[in-house]
Formats: sequence, structure tokens, C-alpha cells
Amino acid sequence: MASCTYTVPDKNASGDNFYGGVICNQVYIDYFWNTYGFSGNKAYWDDGWGWDDCCNTNKALARAFNACYLLTYSASDYSNDSWSSPILNWGRRLVRENIDDLRCKCGDGSAIATSFGGGLVEVYLGFFYSKDVPGRAETLIHESRHQDGKPHNANFPAGSVFGAGKSGADSTWDYEGAWMYGALYLWWFFAAGARTTTALRNRARQRGNLVIDNAFATHPGFNI
Amino acid sequence: MKSRQGTDTPISGAVDTVKTKVIEHPFSFRASTDAELNKLIVAAVNHMGGTGEGAEDAYQQSLRALRGRAEDAVKVVVAEYAALPEDQYLDRWSLVELLSALRHRSALDALGRIVASEIPPERSKDPHSFSTAGEEVMIRTTAVDALGRLRAAGVAEAGRLLLRGAEHSNFSVRRASVQAIMESGSPDEQKALRELLDRRQETRLLEIKRRDVREVPQAIGGRFVVNQDRKNEAPPPELKGRDPI
Repeated sequence: MASCTYTVPDKNASGDNFYGGVICNQVYIDYFWNTYGFSGNKAYWDDGWGWDDCCNTNKALARAFNACYLLTYSASDYSNDSWSSPILNWGRRLVRENIDDLRCKCGDGSAIATSFGGGLVEVYLGFFYSKDVPGRAETLIHESRHQDGKPHNANFPAGSVFGAGKSGADSTWDYEGAWMYGALYLWWFFAAGARTTTALRNRARQRGNLVIDNAFATHPGFNI
Repeated sequence: MKSRQGTDTPISGAVDTVKTKVIEHPFSFRASTDAELNKLIVAAVNHMGGTGEGAEDAYQQSLRALRGRAEDAVKVVVAEYAALPEDQYLDRWSLVELLSALRHRSALDALGRIVASEIPPERSKDPHSFSTAGEEVMIRTTAVDALGRLRAAGVAEAGRLLLRGAEHSNFSVRRASVQAIMESGSPDEQKALRELLDRRQETRLLEIKRRDVREVPQAIGGRFVVNQDRKNEAPPPELKGRDPI
């Protein structure tokens, strides 16, 4: 068992500040808990992680719920999650159909999340406190794609901030790997995200471009 | 097909514990005794992260309140950016985004310094998962966009700073600078850029184009999904008239 601490600005640009007021409703809490892999994992989400304080966006569980809210409602026509619609619509379906065991842990201070297969994904301190809300949604999409049976298949290109020359990249955009899914989700959130601000959409754009520029062995030749 | 876990029974394995400490906001305002202005800056940063049907209106309203004192605000924001610890990446980004949104020419020098600054070494043990260099890149590409906005508004000096950005050591900063010049620079600046890229043998940067998301190859969902039993209808995005817990 590990113990960790984190200093949280009560209000900043992460996207958690005002989500808190929205998610603080039993209807959402029940939906997110039962839909996105929390169910059965009370033991993990207790002991400071927020199980008994799930409206408090200083705590991890509420911050995870915020990502769930963004995943669920960022498409204007959120109730349409058909596979033939944009990923902004079906991202939530991808996550709920592939992650059924979402656990929180301290981690090593760097890692955001790890996918173990069989529907198990661990998220670490950085997921809640280093990433903004769209970035957390991107992480869940990324890990879902791995659960979905699509591993990385290339090394990062020269100069990549993700580790030049190391494994973990996708070969191309057309490979439709986890990096493409995450970048495409952020791109759609920037272009058509509902119930958000231009600032958070710009943040998604910057993060999406970071992925496009650094996570493909062959640059797609376009960006956001 | 995976099975859903049914209960929240205790588990025998070890679980982690966490403690959080809360601070009012991430800024020190050591260089500003103007409490009202400081409050407006904090409010604008807070509203960046808003959600719900009125989020954008609230954010724009907070910006309007600041624009009336834009020059003073830029000074404070620039000082706060310099005062923040390196590892407060999101807070540093939010101040650059604020400079971009204010679109005031007095931010020019600070934006130029941010763009030109070298990226500190990677601090993360697992950059695949979280890259501190990546966070630094996003701060700089946001500053590039801010310079592009100023150049589009007729601030000629921004063009010179963007040309410097096209020589940065980081690929994304160069790519963003090239795109900003090609979109908002003068014909002379674009000519200078082409000559620069020729010298650097980087004309490929001109071929990377900004696209509408609807024009690029899309992911085709559902091809590998293994679990089909999780369809539940989501409640509406705003529960008007329902009491929060």
C-alpha cells in the first residue's frame, strides 16, 4: 500500500471548478459509477480518493467523474452514440464498453494510467491533478483503444517529447491506434465541443497537436 | 465478453491512500497590490474551466471585465507567469492563454520570450504517459498562437517574433510558427520564412496544413469492441429542478 499527497489549487483552469456543481447529483453519480467501471471498486476509491466526498472536485473521484461528464455530454446530440457518428459522440460508448474495472492508485509521480487488459485500467495521481478534464477524457479513450485490442506498433520519431526512438508510438494516423483516437477526440472537442469554453477547447487543440506532432512514426501531414 | 463487477465489497489486496491539501488559487500576486485587478485575473482563469450552457458567456464576461484594464492586467499576468514554479504547467498555460485572449500589444515582448525560451529537460520518468516537455511545448505553441493573433491584428513586431519561433529547437514550436506566418504574416515575412526554411532544409513544414476535423480520416468505431452489454441511457446534461446531494 502506498500513501501520497497532493496540493490542489481550489480553483484553476483545469475544468474542475465548475464541473463540480454539475456532477453533484445522485443521478449522475449513479450513472457514472455504474457505467464507467467504478462499480465494485469502492475499496480503491475510498481512503482520501473521494468515495465519501464525491462532489468535492479537490478529490480524485469527482475529477474522474468530471471526465465522465465531458465524455458523456460534449456532443450537442449526446444521446446519439452510434458508431457511424463522430468520435465525440461515441467516445463514451468506447470507454463504457471497454473499461469495466477502473482503479485509482498513487503511481510513481509520472505515470497517468496503465491498461492491463480484461477491462482493467489503473489511473494515477497525475490523471487527476496534472491533466485537465479534456486530457483525462483523452486518456480514457486512449486506454480504451488498448483494451479494444489495438497496441502501439512503432517507435516515437526523432525529437518526440514522448521518448524519441522508444517504443509506444503508432506507425501512422491510418493505423487507427490509441494515439489517433485520443487526438481525434480532442480535435472534435475543439471543433464542436458543447457546454464548455473556448479556453478549454483551445487547451484540447494544443494537446491534440502535441499528439499529432509527436506520437506517430510518420507525421500525418495535417494538424488542428 | 467481460463481466461487470457486481458489488462494492472490501478487497483483500492493498489499496493506496491519498491526502489532498487545498490552496485558494495558484498565484502569489507579489508584484501587484491591486486586489480588484488580482480578483479579476483569478476569475478569468477560473472561468476558463467552466462547463454547462452558460460557461462560454461567463468566461467572455470575465474577459470583458479585464479588457478595460488590459495593459495593467498584462503586467500582472506576466509577473505571475514568471513567479510560478516550473512544474505548475496548467497554471502557467492558463496565464499564456489569458494573454492570448486579451489580445493586447503590450504582451508582445513577454510572448516573444516565452516562444523563444528553450524547453527544460524532461522531468517525467514515463514521458509516454505524461511528458513535462510536452506541457512546456503546449505553453509555447499557445504563445505562438497569441503572436499570430496580434500579427493578424496588424502588430508588425509579432511577425519578427514568429520568424524567430520558426527557428526554435522544438518541432511543434517551429510548425506552429510557420503556420502562423503563412496565415497572418505579410508577403515579405512569408518570403523571409521560405528563405529560412530553404536554408534549414525544412520546407516540409510548409506542407503540414491545418484542417477541419471533418476533412481528415475518421476513426471507425466498433470494429474491435468486445463488450456489447453496457448500453444505458444517460440522464440529461442539466438536471433543472433537481436537488443536488
